[in-house]
Amino acid sequence: MIKYTVKAAILLALINLTGCSSLSIKPWVKPYERQNLADPIMSASRHPIASMHVAHVLDGREAARGAEGGEGGGCGCN
Amino acid sequence: MLLNKYWHRSLSVVFAFFISMNAYGVTIGKPAPDFTLKNMQGQNINLTEQRGSIILINFWASWCGPCRKEMPVLQTLQDKYQDLGVQVWGINVEQENQAGRDFLANLDLSFSIFFDETNKLSQTYQVEAMPTTVIVDRDGVVRYVFRGFKDGYGKKYAKAIKKLIRE
Repeated sequence: MIKYTVKAAILLALINLTGCSSLSIKPWVKPYERQNLADPIMSASRHPIASMHVAHVLDGREAARGAEGGEGGGCGCN
Repeated sequence: MLLNKYWHRSLSVVFAFFISMNAYGVTIGKPAPDFTLKNMQGQNINLTEQRGSIILINFWASWCGPCRKEMPVLQTLQDKYQDLGVQVWGINVEQENQAGRDFLANLDLSFSIFFDETNKLSQTYQVEAMPTTVIVDRDGVVRYVFRGFKDGYGKKYAKAIKKLIRE
């Protein structure tokens, strides 16, 4: 049993070494921390409607729907 | 070390450790984590002291489009149900909240607005989407958690509040 405890301790120590300190794991930006990301200057395009349309066209053409806010065409597919 | 046949035991110890770390936060049916914050009017308000009132806690930010849409909806809820013991609290989650204050200046809101600049409260309440709305019943228990805001959510909130009022 002691063996396993030691193993677990070593593993924890390794996790600490990887930079994910076990007491302050912050793997991603939380929704409430997106102040800077939500700034308009962070968007790649200054023309939201045009870029939405391009995203929609690419969604349909590449069969890669989602994550861009492009909406469906109403055909009931995908 | 991990290659022998007991590797899964050490791994499960690690997983147990990580799971235990996530044991705090809001759970439906559990008491809402207590907090004290100063509102816009400069009053310190404590959640536990509001036992007996139904509290709708809304986490918002001025950079969040749906939150901006939601504010007038929350105001109508406050106007409609405050006489029945309902309070709407808006908690701003921005680290730099001047934009939030400017946004409020253009609105005529009467419900309490708080500023959580350190994001400690957002962390405790595990705000997983913007906006997040938590409804706490008269006994201080979390009863509803709504993530995000779409058209028609105002009706959902009203339905939830009415249900809690009838209890």
